[in-house]
Amino acid sequence: MNQTLLSEDQRDALQEMMNISMGQAARSLAQLIDTQITLSIPTISEASPSDLAEIFSFGKVTWYARQSFLGQIKGEVLSLIGKNGCEALAELMDYDMPLTEVQTQELILELTNILSGACLSGLSSQLELKTNLNMPTLFNPSASEKSVYSWSTALLVEVTFSIESFSFNARVMICMEENSILTLKKSLDVLVG
Amino acid sequence: MPIPVTIADDSALSRKNVRRAIPEDWDVSISEATNGQEAIDAVEAGLADILFLDLTMPVLDGFDVLRYVKSHHQKTIVIVISADIQPKSVELVNSLGAFRFLQKPLKAEELRETLHEVGLL
Repeated sequence: MNQTLLSEDQRDALQEMMNISMGQAARSLAQLIDTQITLSIPTISEASPSDLAEIFSFGKVTWYARQSFLGQIKGEVLSLIGKNGCEALAELMDYDMPLTEVQTQELILELTNILSGACLSGLSSQLELKTNLNMPTLFNPSASEKSVYSWSTALLVEVTFSIESFSFNARVMICMEENSILTLKKSLDVLVG
Repeated sequence: MPIPVTIADDSALSRKNVRRAIPEDWDVSISEATNGQEAIDAVEAGLADILFLDLTMPVLDGFDVLRYVKSHHQKTIVIVISADIQPKSVELVNSLGAFRFLQKPLKAEELRETLHEVGLL
């Protein structure tokens, strides 16, 4: 059996943790747009290399950003944000449309900070792991950034944020080295136990 | 007679956390519900004089349960325990008649204080 796969209990615990993290992300987002957001239950899945290849093939409709972290667990959090959602959010935030390239970048990095920040701070505080988050950067997976494929394990956390007029899908992918996923699994066991 | 209490949350970990946080000296009989419909069924079956309620749940969410309880079972005491901490969600929860809103992850001390405040301990 693959050592890095999550057990049912570990998945439930991680899902609950992500629920808490995404609740924090939703609060930050709601403050930006001054509107209540309905959150879906986050789903957790392990992404295989072929899943990753598929995930990285949606450049036309998705913005990708990455933010690396260091500490007892290390890796990077990738945020995948639907382009439609970004534009609708920008309108709610009173940006003049269409957005300039700089404004688009600013908005995506802000959303990435909210999403991956909440995700990682949730993990670190509830599992009592110490991690530091670096600055987020945008990236284009079609431009041969091979390093994104180099992590041994990628956990895909998917959540949908909906508000009355539209809904948008945000995905956060936590990519880790094998040692880190083992540390994460051990911490989840302590929490469940 | 133990007080019938139901913990409604789709997450097993979260239900366990609430169980652990319930004071040992509190005489209750605990049932569990894993979605909003099961929570309503528990209320209907008399298993929930007190309902610990999550908001983000499948089938029916916590807001739907609150609306139901408000119109059919006003005596049920609902304590919402949720990760959805947006000010507007908290406002909505309060307007739907919940006794208290507690933020996840639930702290045992906070639950004890809340039970004291609402006169349940």
